[in-house]
Amino acid sequence: MSQHMFGVVGLFESADGLMAAIPKVREAGLGKVEAYTPYPVHGLDKALGQRRSPLGGMVMIMGVLGALTAFLFQWWISGIDYPIVTGGKAPTSWQAFVPIMFEVTVLFATFTAGLGMLFFLNKLPFFGHPLLHAKAIAAITRDRFGLAIESEGGAFDVAAAVRTLESAGARPIEVISVPSFSGPITAKYLERSLLGIAIACAVSGYATYWAVKLFPVLPPTSHMLVQPRLDPQKPSAFFKDGHGMQLPVPGTVARGYLPLGLASQEEAATLVNPLAVTQKVLEEGRQAYMNHCVVCHGPLANGVPTLSSAYGAKPANLQAKQFREYPDGKIYWAIVMGKNAMPSYAADLSEEERWAVIHYLRALQRAQNAKPGDVDGGQPGAGSRGRTKGSAP
Amino acid sequence: MSVPQRSTGKALWGLAVLGLAGVVATYPVAGPARFWANWLLWFLFMLTIAMGSLFIVALEHLVGSRWSVPLRRIPERLSTLLLPAVPMALVALGALPVLYPGTRPEAAHDPVLAGKAFWLSTPFVSTRMVLCLALWLVGVAVLTGGSLRQDRTRDPGFNVNARRFAPAFLAIFALTLTLVAFDWISALEPKWYSDIFGVYLFAGTFLAALAATAASVVYLKDRGRLEGVRPAHLYNLGAYLFAFTVFWSYIAFAQYLLMWYGDMPEEIFWYKERLAGPWLGVALLLGVVHFLIPFLALIPRDAKGDTRRLCWVAVLMLAAHAMDLYWLIFPVLGRTPLLSWPEASFAVFFVSGGLLWVRAAMERGEDMPAGDPFLSEGLEFRL
Repeated sequence: MSQHMFGVVGLFESADGLMAAIPKVREAGLGKVEAYTPYPVHGLDKALGQRRSPLGGMVMIMGVLGALTAFLFQWWISGIDYPIVTGGKAPTSWQAFVPIMFEVTVLFATFTAGLGMLFFLNKLPFFGHPLLHAKAIAAITRDRFGLAIESEGGAFDVAAAVRTLESAGARPIEVISVPSFSGPITAKYLERSLLGIAIACAVSGYATYWAVKLFPVLPPTSHMLVQPRLDPQKPSAFFKDGHGMQLPVPGTVARGYLPLGLASQEEAATLVNPLAVTQKVLEEGRQAYMNHCVVCHGPLANGVPTLSSAYGAKPANLQAKQFREYPDGKIYWAIVMGKNAMPSYAADLSEEERWAVIHYLRALQRAQNAKPGDVDGGQPGAGSRGRTKGSAP
Repeated sequence: MSVPQRSTGKALWGLAVLGLAGVVATYPVAGPARFWANWLLWFLFMLTIAMGSLFIVALEHLVGSRWSVPLRRIPERLSTLLLPAVPMALVALGALPVLYPGTRPEAAHDPVLAGKAFWLSTPFVSTRMVLCLALWLVGVAVLTGGSLRQDRTRDPGFNVNARRFAPAFLAIFALTLTLVAFDWISALEPKWYSDIFGVYLFAGTFLAALAATAASVVYLKDRGRLEGVRPAHLYNLGAYLFAFTVFWSYIAFAQYLLMWYGDMPEEIFWYKERLAGPWLGVALLLGVVHFLIPFLALIPRDAKGDTRRLCWVAVLMLAAHAMDLYWLIFPVLGRTPLLSWPEASFAVFFVSGGLLWVRAAMERGEDMPAGDPFLSEGLEFRL
């Protein structure tokens, strides 16, 4: 088996001895000078004249690239490809991009630092450093400091190298030559295998994608499209009559509405106003009255409308004795069903608003027909409907 | 003392007197509101440097760091800026009825301010401030005073006491510095609130104190003092400065981003004032001098240990801190940034006065905590 000359290594007892020897050995210019120490020695990289690590620059460039990538990517997605106004912000609001830009900058920078150091600068994967074949390595990993003149580069000469190290004070000195072939699984072999696997994965993935797309032997997954779903205005085999849309079940009550269930106004007389008389209810009633009733029945409910009577029908004077003696239920029926020329207000007033309007109407009636006992100083609770004092406006 | 140094002292005294004339003239000529805004800016500038220095000292005792022991005397001396800051704080209480809407009688009619009325009332704010000042003075007495005493006694017991005291002090520091941020700056616009604002002020405080420490260390080293302080120590200071420029920007942007996203009327008006018209220019400049320039200048490895670069970055950071306070305080005075002779004379007076104080403080005790048993370990520090 052929041998390959790696270089000459000499051992020193102390780090100071090593540091003192380095300039002398470098001066000889016989080859690449490299130190092997059991622990990091301060100032060694400077003494060996090693160039500054390019890692900082690489990280800087990749960091900036990361920031730009994140910015352009988001700008393209949110501003050009699919602009969506979110939270009232312009689609290209740079403020929203900054957190992602920060993250991608850090991602690119740290990956460059980690992977760049391992694969680019430390040249991994790297098995079997030639020094591991030397006897000196046992001492170097324990307590000796090795200085090597390596054959690559420079005018390497074994005898001269041994002499130089000897005169620099190294004891003992060892010439290291290694078999040029060290086994079937080399770093190169591993690298090539990994690269091959990666390429095979990429090619087969890509090929599968296009094969399935161009020659659809199996129908593509389409669960989202085939759903036992009822579409509006479409026939459906699910129901007997073949319609997708069905009428509500008889007796269905819409949310927020109670069925009247009464055939005539006389029957409705038995209904009881469910709301208590409070300031809030009266306020709500006043609001609804002002929105819907006042145009015809007038602000005093006496049938003198706020709009001039361009409209033919004569609105009812609700201050009349007939209406003052009406039970609440009959007024409610009139609001829901309409009466004479008055249309139904069921669609405009909710259940609660109707009853609130009735309370308010009662207050108007009472205000127009006040008894001496209703004002301050009179008998509390004198009203026929048991309202508290001051509830009337 | 060499001759040029004495002449520097004389020049500083001259500038201080000149500035004082401008400061006194501001009140009648430019009006009380402008006087108090300027006063507030420079009071907070001094206070934050002092508090940040005390924080550095307490942090060192808490975590038991060794590398910073040779440098510790510098933040200790800077923390004595708290002594002039105490009367400044008491004077600043005069700004309460002028600049702070929460103390005015019409605040009672505002539903938002009425709820905060007691908290913002002059007596309660003043009580809180006096209590804070007392607590901080205890901090200076224990940490700085104890360390100066150790120069003579060489008693390692101080380190034990300081280590016990530091955690309690840091808890107090966090609470009281938040109070400073809320009471003196947020309360200028009491309807605005931001939970992170205390952290924002802390970031600026720590950065300003680090910058003052770095500048002082370089200054002393240039004069042949602080022998034994290596580039490695400076590198660590530089790394701290570098890291905390990023921290400040992170906090500042986080606060802005959330309020910008939410766009709530009760939050966003604060930024609308500060990002409108000429104030937008100030805000952008702040981003450049408080973040971009120091960040880029301190990125390279060698830059962090380079005395010259460290020095100008530190001075720039101090200027940026003053500008930060300016941007926080002055928009309440109007839509145009006020920058004229009153601001200039306040700056001249307080910078020259502060420098005179720091120069005198730099002669107190020995340049390194000679009695500290960890000093030799700190001097051996290498990266």
